[in-house]
Amino acid sequence: MSMLFWQLIHEEAHLLGFGFFRQRLTGWHLSFILLLLFTFSGELANAAMRDRLAGLDRFLATFDPGGRFLTRPIERLVPGLTLNGTYTFASDALLSSHDNVGFRDRDYRWLQFQSLFELEANYQVNSNIQITGIFHALYDPVYSLQGSDGLYAPKENERLRGYEDSKDIVRELYVSLRTLKFDLVLGKQQIAWGKMDGRFIDAINPMDGRESVQLESTDYERRRIPLWMANLTYYVGSVSLNFLWIPGFEPDEHATYGSPWYSPLYSPADSVARHNPTLLQGNVTADGYTVDRRSKPNWNDFAEHQLAFRVDVPFGAWTAGLIYFYAWDKNPSDSITGRFTENGVNYLSLERRHRRLHHFGFTADYAGTLSSVPIVGTLPVVLRVEALLSKGVPFADLDEYAVALEGADVDGLRETDTIKGAFAFEFAFPHNTTFIFQPSLYYTKDWKSTLGSGFGGAVGDAWALAPVIFIKRPFRFTRDRLAIGLTLTPYLSQPTRNSQGMKTKVKVSYEFSQYLRGKIVYTNYSGGDGDDLFGGYRRYDNIGIGFIYEF
Amino acid sequence: MTILGLDLFMSSKNLERRVVPFFLCLLIGVSVSAAEVTWKPANEISQKALERADLKGPGPRDATGYLPEKKYPFTSPLNAEEIGYRLMNFNHVASWAHMLADCYGSVTKEGYLTEGITLGMIDNVGSEGGPEARIYGSPGDVFQRWNYYYTYPPKSEGEQQVWHLRRTGRDEPTKLDFFVYSPSLRRVRRQPPPRRDAQFPNSVQTFDDIVGLEAWEFEWTLIGSDILYSTVRFPSNRPMLTLARAGGRFYEQEASKIRMMGDDYPYYRKDNGIDTFVVTAVPRGDWLPKYRIGRVVYWVDQHYFFPLRIETYDREGELLAIQVRMGERQNPNLPDGHGYTNPHSAYWDVRLDLVTYSAHDSMALAEWTKEEKETLFNPDFMRRRWNRNNAKSQVLIRDPKRFHLRPEILEGRFPTYRSINLSPEVLARVKAQNAAGRLVFAGETLE
Repeated sequence: MSMLFWQLIHEEAHLLGFGFFRQRLTGWHLSFILLLLFTFSGELANAAMRDRLAGLDRFLATFDPGGRFLTRPIERLVPGLTLNGTYTFASDALLSSHDNVGFRDRDYRWLQFQSLFELEANYQVNSNIQITGIFHALYDPVYSLQGSDGLYAPKENERLRGYEDSKDIVRELYVSLRTLKFDLVLGKQQIAWGKMDGRFIDAINPMDGRESVQLESTDYERRRIPLWMANLTYYVGSVSLNFLWIPGFEPDEHATYGSPWYSPLYSPADSVARHNPTLLQGNVTADGYTVDRRSKPNWNDFAEHQLAFRVDVPFGAWTAGLIYFYAWDKNPSDSITGRFTENGVNYLSLERRHRRLHHFGFTADYAGTLSSVPIVGTLPVVLRVEALLSKGVPFADLDEYAVALEGADVDGLRETDTIKGAFAFEFAFPHNTTFIFQPSLYYTKDWKSTLGSGFGGAVGDAWALAPVIFIKRPFRFTRDRLAIGLTLTPYLSQPTRNSQGMKTKVKVSYEFSQYLRGKIVYTNYSGGDGDDLFGGYRRYDNIGIGFIYEF
Repeated sequence: MTILGLDLFMSSKNLERRVVPFFLCLLIGVSVSAAEVTWKPANEISQKALERADLKGPGPRDATGYLPEKKYPFTSPLNAEEIGYRLMNFNHVASWAHMLADCYGSVTKEGYLTEGITLGMIDNVGSEGGPEARIYGSPGDVFQRWNYYYTYPPKSEGEQQVWHLRRTGRDEPTKLDFFVYSPSLRRVRRQPPPRRDAQFPNSVQTFDDIVGLEAWEFEWTLIGSDILYSTVRFPSNRPMLTLARAGGRFYEQEASKIRMMGDDYPYYRKDNGIDTFVVTAVPRGDWLPKYRIGRVVYWVDQHYFFPLRIETYDREGELLAIQVRMGERQNPNLPDGHGYTNPHSAYWDVRLDLVTYSAHDSMALAEWTKEEKETLFNPDFMRRRWNRNNAKSQVLIRDPKRFHLRPEILEGRFPTYRSINLSPEVLARVKAQNAAGRLVFAGETLE
């Protein structure tokens, strides 16, 4: 392990001793937190204070200008049209100082300051045909506000700052034809298969993963990248058969050089990377290898389309589903196509392209009620199970890269199978308290330490276990408007790394009205080594605030 | 109260606003003055009323060991337990196949208002209508299936739920298979059923308020008779309601003219009151050992046994909540009042001083085809995001000051069974409400 990461661990240990409150919060966040505490203090405030706030409460309860002046008047003018608007504001600020972390020039505090406006329009042509459009406008001034040298990603990828391309703005657009026996949905859409929190058989659409390890399942709806496809479902009694034909293809998006969540482990340093356009464009790797990126799945060739099939069957207290997905790997892999020498140093020529994968999945859930449980009496419980087997997943093999540099004729890739799956136990405790325990497992067959990453496998190890714990409780004294949730995500892996750290998230949400909600989220990364999944982000503890207005 | 009412009367500038408060005050006055004489303990129930109710019981058991040997719907006179079984026909949701727009809302003591609309499709399994399948089915059998599609508020639009209600038994405590489609997750997920005695978020209603009680899980006692003159009370500033008939045709309805059991109920007293029996249900320890509710008190009309008022008490015997209902015959195909259901109901959590209402609008009988039965109530149907129910409603209140009044307290009646200790703050707001003819919120100054 490099000196740099030992130094990081030392600094982190120092910080952990005092907790995050010792960190300097930004004034804006602090003001907001105080305002929120002041507003929802409920029982904490005295009766007179509550009386004074009651008028504000009544005003907010019916304050809906978007519905009153926009959606409802238009709906009255156009029968058959329904409109829904959502404005989402989300900001996150780092709690640690401006020190550089790893290769990153981290001269910024704000990780996002994002406004997203969504308009959903549904037009009912007749009782069987409906046209749906979902449109997005996004702007994140985090790249402009801070005068940061470390945030330069929009130089090559403007969509990180704001949507300009119709591909992003016209997010979904499809026609639905429905009869009792079948559904046909044609157009650009997103499909979320599965029943679990997290992505297991939810593998159809790629994901915009700009937030890296901070991406949550609650973000998937606005972060999935919709695809053009035909989506047919046929119903035979209580059994449903779903078939997808997907001519369109889009890859996963990730945090990139110059974006807030780009991994501190990836060289070169930002001071070098930001002046290297060929690196930023992906035409050369950090090691100086050239990359041919011209190969992409072809929309015009049926043989290069993706196909998927799903069957769902209820039986007794169980519901179960099976899936098969003839897919492209959403992340391209680099195969070695040649070798060249510059200034006496050997380099490789790589071809970056997507590979075919076969996914086989299973999902099931079961509900029951435990009786005579001490203290709580009866205890409703749901069990969910989900797993995905992926065949022929390509992994970069550093052994082969090494021998290729010596002149061997190898492609640098190793194909193997991966499995990812999870069990989830969800309990309904008194006071509307939800408790979920979800152990998730990731496994790579024939893993060895020189393999890179691949779809479905554990991070940097043969297998990994992430026993996620989630607790959420609303508070009745606020009429359930205030809720606090805690999510713990430890990541344990074998045979080499053991604990890769833990992500802890505390979310306090408050419903200002049934149109307007606010939240404060504290996210902490702890444990593990500096080159581990969560350990690498130990200097990225952050606090975020957000609002959602729906009308 | 009277002086404030008079003030309202004198200051109102149009006839409608003058007349409504006057009649409201009159009605309240009649109720209050009549309260002292309307109720009778069990040993004083009139002989005429005892032709319909039997103070004895419960009778012998059938082969299950816990169901009565006599069969539903029983013959007069009914004992308290048999009345309990008749109550299983009058759950929050009617027990026959139908569609409806289910509107609901809550208001806090500060005036914080939330409302929603969900469009429901109901399928009765195993009987045409009525609770027979629920009573005599095998534990674990599904007896009713619901499909709900939320259309309001915007944050809930497109959410769907499928409920499969199951017959419970000693070894089958699961009362509900509960499936949810969330547009933000785009997934159909099986959820743990709500805890039976827990209130829904920001609502007075519990899960058991919605689906009703299993009569065999309770001990039933007939504690007396009473006369009710009002149940759900609309405020003086909401004189008209826009309601919808089956098919979505709207009509205006004067709130003051909505009668407690609808216009065609044949047993109104001359003074417009309704004769009721009052029965209590106490959970049996062997069936519901940790049930939060210690006693339920029902006021049921003496002819159809329709519950007009339901009070719940905690295990220490203190009042938790009051539910009041208006009945209406919505299914003319069912005889003897079995076709009644409750289009309007109001709930009051007396501790939180939280008031909830429910209005079942645009109700229409349904005859589901075999194909519809297979499809519409299958949880997987929700993935299609297809709203098949075109019921409409304009019954949302949208203004906290026009919310339903808190139900009457009926203080002093059946004191052995009803311990009511409201906080001074709540009592003050009740007093202000009764004076103003509408809810008065914390911190609000009346002009």
